Amino acid sequence: MTNTMEIREEELVAGFDEELLARLNDGPEWLCEARRAAFRRYAAIPLPTARDEEWRRTDPARFPFKDMTPMDRYDAAGALTAGEWNAWFDVVATVEGDRYAIQDVSGVLARKSLRVMTLAEAAEQYPERLSPYLQGQARGVPPGKYEALNEAFWTVGFFIDVPADTQLEKGILIRYINPPDGRIFMPRTIAVVGARSRVSMMEHFASADTARFLSVTAREVYLDESSVMNLTSLQEWGKSVYHLSSDWGFVARAAKLNWVAMHFGGRVSKMLLGCDTAGEGAEAELDGMYIGTQKQHYDQKTLQVHSAPKTYSNLLYKGAVKDKAYSVYQGMIIARPGANGVDAYQKNNNLVLDDGARADSLPGLQIDTDDLKCSHGSTIGNLNEEEVFYLRSRGLNNDEARKILLKGFFEEIVQKIPVEPVREKVRERIEEKMGSGGQ
Amino acid sequence: MSEATYDFEIRNLQASVEGKPILKGVNLGIRLGETHALMGPNGSGKSTLANVIMGHPGYEVTGGEIVYKGLNLLDMEPEERARLGVFLAFQYPVALPGVTAAQFLKTTLDAVRGDKKPKASEFLKELRGNMDYLEIDQTFLNRFLNDGFSGGEKKRMEILQMLTLKPSLAVMDETDSGLDIDALKVVAKGVNKLMGPNLGLLVITHYERLLTYIKPDHLHILMDGRIVLSGGPEVVKQLEEKGYDWVREQFGQEVVEV
Repeated sequence: MTNTMEIREEELVAGFDEELLARLNDGPEWLCEARRAAFRRYAAIPLPTARDEEWRRTDPARFPFKDMTPMDRYDAAGALTAGEWNAWFDVVATVEGDRYAIQDVSGVLARKSLRVMTLAEAAEQYPERLSPYLQGQARGVPPGKYEALNEAFWTVGFFIDVPADTQLEKGILIRYINPPDGRIFMPRTIAVVGARSRVSMMEHFASADTARFLSVTAREVYLDESSVMNLTSLQEWGKSVYHLSSDWGFVARAAKLNWVAMHFGGRVSKMLLGCDTAGEGAEAELDGMYIGTQKQHYDQKTLQVHSAPKTYSNLLYKGAVKDKAYSVYQGMIIARPGANGVDAYQKNNNLVLDDGARADSLPGLQIDTDDLKCSHGSTIGNLNEEEVFYLRSRGLNNDEARKILLKGFFEEIVQKIPVEPVREKVRERIEEKMGSGGQ
Repeated sequence: MSEATYDFEIRNLQASVEGKPILKGVNLGIRLGETHALMGPNGSGKSTLANVIMGHPGYEVTGGEIVYKGLNLLDMEPEERARLGVFLAFQYPVALPGVTAAQFLKTTLDAVRGDKKPKASEFLKELRGNMDYLEIDQTFLNRFLNDGFSGGEKKRMEILQMLTLKPSLAVMDETDSGLDIDALKVVAKGVNKLMGPNLGLLVITHYERLLTYIKPDHLHILMDGRIVLSGGPEVVKQLEEKGYDWVREQFGQEVVEV
């Protein structure tokens, strides 16, 4: 007897088969072949089960593939173009429902400073630029089942191609808003930052609480030599959304990736965030924040892969759970053979605010080099009662005191967000989530 | 204790920490307008007393009462005591990343005042004046409270909070510890500004040097959870004349450290 619902192969594959693949494959032949190759890889990977170490805390059966149908078509018109943050970006790319739009807010696309286009357009117009990046080589480790799924079946997404020696004043905003109810939303983003360029990019996921859908997202960013990228992701899905994500950064010689990943929404989410500092002197600052309320479930894994000498990565993930929420953090620092002179740090701090809430933290190291500086650590606990008392002694009640301390706990991450109104929005979200129960 | 009525009175207070009795029957009375000093060796219960007055949940009160404005403080939450006019200047103030000093001061003032909230412009004007008085740079207004502040800066912020909230009964828990003489003078200057007929003040200190800048009119010595010596102006005068040596002679070298 077991309570674990096994996903049977045919249930998942029912939606994602060669027939769907054939329907998606209306692009150039090389792309069709790339999808077929990805499908073969996908088919060869066994479905995960709750017995796999990776999935022990998040039963794969909780992702309702069999209740949902894949998206196949998106229209290039009618997507929402208004947005409170538009003025803070040079380019705004939106997928709303089954429509998309790309807005050249400050004229950088017209001036050909960079390209922002859908993956489908890029495959038609710039196959030689896009194809090297479609193989998923930003990944420091082989893909899992759902990453391979996205690689074969992605249905929407953007290609951001920033040439060498380019500085964008404001940056690029990619918005995914209200995917259709009952559907499997599968976007893919590929961003390439040319040598010595500097660019900011933000991805924002938002949906109404009423919509129930499954999101399987993938993002790969490639930083060429001496480039800098500030990457922000803000996940604010509604409360009935199931979310699987795989995000990878590939950082070449002397390049630097600053990444802030924030998760507020979703019902059950399993996220992988990996970064490969792959060229000598490459650096990565990886910051994360997650707040779980009610019955939210967050399972996230980070991989700091160091495959080149003299590389640096510093990770700080902060989370809070209340009500009956559950968060899992698994971190791994991987130093490849020959990666001498690595500096790698990993810290995960968790606040567990209610008896019914739970946080697990599993930091880890996998070191194949003997010349490195490395540390990892984690904390799990409630707010410091001395600090609560301090605030109460100044006239604030218990709830107000706790809210202020929670705000302070996350402020270290909030400060890393490059865009001021986004910082403000995140502060509001923190307050909201820490307020009276609702997420 | 005399029979005269006090505005603030601690009666036979007993308190424990993790089952261990710390305060073993403390009696102490303060009238508005008075400044009392409380001294005693490490471990005598000074900080426990300060925390119990403010309502720290980590201390278990096992007996007695603390009466202020006719109410037993022990029945009230810390925030209710604050709204009644009780203030504690902490020995170890807390840092609040994400909350600027100005925001924090306004928030606490609104909380303490309840429906008599001051206008933002008046609040800022007074705050800036107080900051000048305490020689705190105006840039601190927009810095996160105590975040990365030095020990001396944190203590000045405590006094700034006290000047902002204008308590009627203030307890200072070793505010002088870790301060150099210049910082000490500034702290004393701030406290002296607030002293007057509407403030009862209890200055807890380990060192007599603070009392050369904040002149008490009553002195209490706490040892092993009990007040062993209490006196009014005559005792303080005696102290000034004879120095603290006679306290040491009477209660041991440890009582007063210089």
